[in-house]
Amino acid sequence: MMREREAGERRAAVPAGYFVAFGIIGVLVLLPHVITTPYYLHLLILVLLYVALSSAWNLAGGFAGQLSLGHAGFFGIGAYASTLLFLNFGLSPWIGMVVGVLLAVVAGAAIGYPCFRLRGPFFALATLAFGEVLRVIAISWRDLTQGSNGLSIPFKPGFANMMWQGKEMFFYVVLVYALVAVGIVWKIERSRLGYYLIALKEDDSAARMLGIDTTRCKLYAMLISAALTAVGGVFYAQYVGFIEPYSVFDVNQSIQFALISIIGGLGTVFGPVLGAFIMIPLSEMLRAAFGGAARGFHLVLYGIILMAVVMLLPQGVSQELKDRYKRWSRARQSAISRRKGQADAT
Amino acid sequence: MDVMLGQVLISGILLGGIYALISMGLTLIFGVTRIVNFAHGEYLMLSMFAAVMLSQHYGLDPYVATIPIAVLAFLAGAATQRFIIQPLLNASHASQIFVTMGLSVTLMNAALMVWGADFQSVRTPYEAVVLPLGPWSVGVPRLVTFLVALGMMAGLLLFLNKTYLGKAITAVSQDRMAALLMGIDVNQVYMVAFGVGIACVGVAGAVLVPIYSVFPTVGQYFALTAYVVVVLGGFGSMLGALAGGLVIGVVEALSGYFISPGLKEAVYLLIFIAVLVIRPTGLFGIVGSEEMGVK
Repeated sequence: MMREREAGERRAAVPAGYFVAFGIIGVLVLLPHVITTPYYLHLLILVLLYVALSSAWNLAGGFAGQLSLGHAGFFGIGAYASTLLFLNFGLSPWIGMVVGVLLAVVAGAAIGYPCFRLRGPFFALATLAFGEVLRVIAISWRDLTQGSNGLSIPFKPGFANMMWQGKEMFFYVVLVYALVAVGIVWKIERSRLGYYLIALKEDDSAARMLGIDTTRCKLYAMLISAALTAVGGVFYAQYVGFIEPYSVFDVNQSIQFALISIIGGLGTVFGPVLGAFIMIPLSEMLRAAFGGAARGFHLVLYGIILMAVVMLLPQGVSQELKDRYKRWSRARQSAISRRKGQADAT
Repeated sequence: MDVMLGQVLISGILLGGIYALISMGLTLIFGVTRIVNFAHGEYLMLSMFAAVMLSQHYGLDPYVATIPIAVLAFLAGAATQRFIIQPLLNASHASQIFVTMGLSVTLMNAALMVWGADFQSVRTPYEAVVLPLGPWSVGVPRLVTFLVALGMMAGLLLFLNKTYLGKAITAVSQDRMAALLMGIDVNQVYMVAFGVGIACVGVAGAVLVPIYSVFPTVGQYFALTAYVVVVLGGFGSMLGALAGGLVIGVVEALSGYFISPGLKEAVYLLIFIAVLVIRPTGLFGIVGSEEMGVK
């Protein structure tokens, strides 16, 4: 009987999860009608963009354990590919996105494959160098990229140009992007690849000994991650309307993707979601509150908060919340059963 | 030999001395703690600002300022080790990388707050003095930097091989557990090693002030080069830092001369990736150090 009840609970738990997910999506879909202030909508678009970008990073950095600091490279490749095709050939950014994704996948293979045997900080350094190489090339290849002057995209609204009057439509596009990115990671976590990634992250040689082709698994994670990041680069370029090597190929972009994942919870599906919803508004708030007071002060606070969170909650905020919830519900359970025991005794 | 090419080579070698000087502290710290300090460049930047401030307020020559700056940097390094690095020694790579990055963001922006984004520099009577060397010429500040690099290298090697503390540092870097069992106070050794590493970068910062302007992000540029140098020479190897610095300096000068000054960074970064891939232990590195196995 006990087992039946448990099974029933589990069956009931799945629709409940879906219910919550659809509820959240429903709220998000309706949000632009509630929040009409362009600034807050802008903030939401940024949050969703970083939800997707950090989820993409998390696939390589969290699930596969390949701590990349070169994802700005893929981001920049996407942004520059679609923008250059649009400006020079009038090609729709939607098509440019396909080209950007392909290029990013090739770049991901080129940097990932040889570097996967490097561990931890060494992989981070190699990928950091990769991103920097692309930035230096983007700066010095003036004929193509106009160097550090950057490229501005003329505003011509229309679906084919991926530009719209107002921010609502862009919000929905980025919402879909974020949902797809989180969905892909969610799906991978439950797939064979996901289990392989967990195994190789725990112990690479043990996983290899069990017959897992660890290099191939890391490569798949890296390529999907690079592709998703390039898509984000295209959206960024079309949303901001201006790109330059220092903004899209910036190491700080890579750091941002990684930090959001780490703060939220490395190697978890919803960690980057939580992380983006915490970090993006936090950094905007700090900038708004202290940006005028003294230059750099808000970033000093930001850096201190980062260090504190990484040192005090190395598993990320999502794990901490989960642990607290578990402790809380366990305490409640034992309180209930104790009360029951007392009732039985009397 | 072509006079022009000779001049390029000389400037490359002198540049290599600068890079070696900056990289020695990084490689020492890595060799002992096995942590890549992503805030290394910020300590360089802070030391450069310290030299500028000492010069502006007390009229201290940057070369004289090396002594107080080295002492301050040692204390700052020991404190960093005690309060930030120590708790991370057994943490995940992700934590180690991102805490030191957080430190880098904090220090860089603290400098922005205090000194602003403007370029600052110190005027010295010798900054433009050039010594003739056959058909070529050598700038005095760069020559001094090169000699300081050689001197510091010799000093560090003597310290590591001849003194008790230095031998203890070497022992800990070879095998933390065995050193602990031999009665070495490992945590104290970590603090000294980190302090000495930051003191080295402090000296480097002061010596660079007559050559380069200072601004809050100056560390980032040099730090990236220092990682390249250290990987090339081998993490944890002092001689490697010198050799790596010279190689990168010469490569940078030559690629600037033959290819394009804008692309010289790309050239040595590609070399960097190639070295990591082909020979991750570098020229003189600890074998297996890229695997980060803390023994």
